[in-house]
Amino acid sequence: MAEPLTFAAAAVADAVAAGAAEAEATLNVIERFSVEARNREVARLEQSTGRSLTLRVFSDGKKATLVTSDLTAESVRRFAREAVDAARHVAVDLYAGLPESRGPAGDGSSLEIYSPDVRERPNEAKIDDALGLEALSRAYDPRIVNSAGSHVLDAVATLALVNSKGFHGTYRATQVTRDAGPIAQDGESKRVAHYGSASRAYASLEAVDSIARTAARRAVDMCGARKPPTMRCPVIFERDVAASVLSDVFAALSAANVAVGNSFLIGKVGHKIGSGLVTIFDDGLLSGGLGTAPFDAEGVPTRRTVVFRDGVLETFLYDTYYGRKLGVASTGNASSGGVGPTNFYLQAGSGNLEALISSVPRGVLVIDTIGFSTESVTGTYSRGARGFAIENGELAYPIDEFTIAGNLVEMLAGIDAVANDLRFDGNFVSPSFRIAEMTVSGS
Amino acid sequence: MQLEPVYLDAATFEKILTRALGAGEYADAFFERRVARSFRLQDGKIHEAAIVVTSGVGIRVLSGERTGYAYSDDLSADALSRAADAAALIARDPAAKIAAIRIEGEAKLAPSVYEAAAQAGSTDAGSRAYVDLLARADVAARTFDVRVGAVNSTLSEELQDVIVATSDGHFVRDRRPLVALAVQAVANGAARGTGMCGDGGRTGIGYFDRRTPEDIAREAARIACVNCDAVEAPAGEMEVVVGAGSGGVLLHEAVGHGLEGDFNRQGRSLYSGRVGERVASELVTIFDDGNLPGERGSIAIDDEGTPGRHKVLVEAGVLCGYMQDRLNAGLMGTESTGSGRRQSFRHPPLPRMCNTYMPNGSSTYDEIVGSVKKGVYATSFAGGQVEISKGDFVFMLAEGYLIEDGRLTAPIRGASLIGNGPDVMTRVVMVGNDTRFAGRSYSCGKGGQYVPVGVGMPTVKLARVTVGGSSVG
Repeated sequence: MAEPLTFAAAAVADAVAAGAAEAEATLNVIERFSVEARNREVARLEQSTGRSLTLRVFSDGKKATLVTSDLTAESVRRFAREAVDAARHVAVDLYAGLPESRGPAGDGSSLEIYSPDVRERPNEAKIDDALGLEALSRAYDPRIVNSAGSHVLDAVATLALVNSKGFHGTYRATQVTRDAGPIAQDGESKRVAHYGSASRAYASLEAVDSIARTAARRAVDMCGARKPPTMRCPVIFERDVAASVLSDVFAALSAANVAVGNSFLIGKVGHKIGSGLVTIFDDGLLSGGLGTAPFDAEGVPTRRTVVFRDGVLETFLYDTYYGRKLGVASTGNASSGGVGPTNFYLQAGSGNLEALISSVPRGVLVIDTIGFSTESVTGTYSRGARGFAIENGELAYPIDEFTIAGNLVEMLAGIDAVANDLRFDGNFVSPSFRIAEMTVSGS
Repeated sequence: MQLEPVYLDAATFEKILTRALGAGEYADAFFERRVARSFRLQDGKIHEAAIVVTSGVGIRVLSGERTGYAYSDDLSADALSRAADAAALIARDPAAKIAAIRIEGEAKLAPSVYEAAAQAGSTDAGSRAYVDLLARADVAARTFDVRVGAVNSTLSEELQDVIVATSDGHFVRDRRPLVALAVQAVANGAARGTGMCGDGGRTGIGYFDRRTPEDIAREAARIACVNCDAVEAPAGEMEVVVGAGSGGVLLHEAVGHGLEGDFNRQGRSLYSGRVGERVASELVTIFDDGNLPGERGSIAIDDEGTPGRHKVLVEAGVLCGYMQDRLNAGLMGTESTGSGRRQSFRHPPLPRMCNTYMPNGSSTYDEIVGSVKKGVYATSFAGGQVEISKGDFVFMLAEGYLIEDGRLTAPIRGASLIGNGPDVMTRVVMVGNDTRFAGRSYSCGKGGQYVPVGVGMPTVKLARVTVGGSSVG
């Protein structure tokens, strides 16, 4: 295959030859090496190079998209023509089209998103990491008797983006993840915990023994869990669960949802929504961030956006299309799926998680949730959860099979303490925080 | 039915498998070419068209409990050889003698379990047909009620060709259609409400001649209007009646995943080692079936080439068996049940559900709802999730009501219901005589892989479940 930029340029030429007024091609090449280990053995080994072309075509404001893994020249030409033909059936939309040119693209070299040692590290060392996660979590406690698997995934990605307005940009990025899933025997029952770390480079990845220990401790600590009573009380969201709440907040901030009435934040820009502790950034330029890139999915330079400042909603997040539609500039949040986050995070506070816990006379600490339905339109929030009951500022006993419920508006307003344990290991990250009152539904 | 020249022939499969098998016990190759077309309507206008082409080969080598896997979207001889070598890493033994593998003739086409109906395909007339259906749905949703505001709908149609070749000489193929129309409506009343409805199946867009886009759109609009007037859901343990149709999400989460072969072979499921034991109330019988004509989860053969079939999972409360793919069946000394499925050629197969459902019981809907003094009626679900080892699951209400003195009263806002699978299944105290399948719109996620599934359920009463609303007392 041709060099990525050359290949993408050829796809743009195909689309224009087929009748597109404007076209944009993105080629993604990902080399993946992954290992799953269970019970001190390698269970699965995968090594592949995957390629995918995304071609967007526009004619008179009519848009069609092609995503294909068949990259033979003949096939790209054929489906580019099909996409152009399909676009004829789309309604004219004055806002659809490529972004305005903004000069040369960055190559990401100053953003610390590519780490050469990911490719250099021998496969044996990566396999040893997976086996180490299994062995170390097993060794933590005799109650750890089984495993849902430990995983290693190392990936090297190359992206090239070319459009018919003359934009061409390319960058490389790496991602490394390690996680463990030990299972503790608890009488007749089993307790599984999942814990892991992700980064752009090995140097900033949490150590294998620390991941294994934390995962195993979480499984063992849940032994003997019971339902809490149904009550209204303060709820502390541990870091990873706090990040999942931010992903629900993001959905309501995405201009794609705002434009179709699917957000509880419509009409609220400039209003104080959150408590004074709610300062949220979307920072596409964060050094070494997993959501960091020199430009977004349509070639718009990424940037640092203040989304909430001291509780006041400052802006929604836009790609070019929804920006034009709603009369503002893109915030560099175009993603392959529409409008997406870069590094979306709540600003850290000062105390640690223990300090948050010690301030609660009676409440719960949530360390994991299940379920995924949040009504973006109203902000109604309800999740299955597990964690710990807090009594007199201390973790009293493990709890599970309960739900936490509230409304995202009340939850943002109710954040009354934020910890200092922020780390950047995903697109959505957050320090642990406390919400003054939610409904815990148990027995 | 002619295959295009881009498809792999017997000689290529033979070469790949011979190279991959090496010291392994078994190797297979999965070729896939899937073309999916969709149109999306937003703000009363066709907003965009999309084509997704998924094309490539996944190569797998099994050696004991170990799986080696590699895929390639590049079908050149060099790329396929590299992928075969990568898959073989798991079982590389230079001393092993290479077994003779024979793949000959044409891949045998599996007998269809799909509903014959016109597919629109890539033609101009086809595109017009998609657009007309979306426009009809949009008008129907908007004119249902003055409160209906934003309407979004998507129509997608795909055709997936798969060919499976195995080191023990199987060489089979399948051609799977899939169509879906999904409508989301937002209504503005006392509060805002959303409603979703989707349908389709293993068929073509001709399906919507019978199940009209107007039906689907009005249902989405109706739910949105109901949810405008919804009150906060209650919190705490109470009686819950699960509605016929999408209530099958309960079976899928509370029982189905726990009966998948991998979790049981690994001793990770609460149902591990319990075949023959009582695991549910005697009113509970659960089937999984890959052969229901046109249902979303149906497959003529699974993604390992094994024919889909009807499986009895639980009968009168007794656990009858697990759902197996080839790897786990082999290690447990049993046969695949045709449950080996994968999202695409980029993923190794896992044991998965197809269409999971509970057959009719003997109670009527009126008897069941009439028996509840204070509780919740869960009409339909947006989805669910289970944690397999302890068995805790949630399912999320899309439409629901309070039950007071045997009657449905106020609609309630979206809430999660939480329970423990085996525990809840012992609390099934009434089963209705009104089994039906949910609208064909669910996909199931496992290990990061999504596959289309079906669920079906009669009206069922659960003696006690924790309802996760925010209204206490």
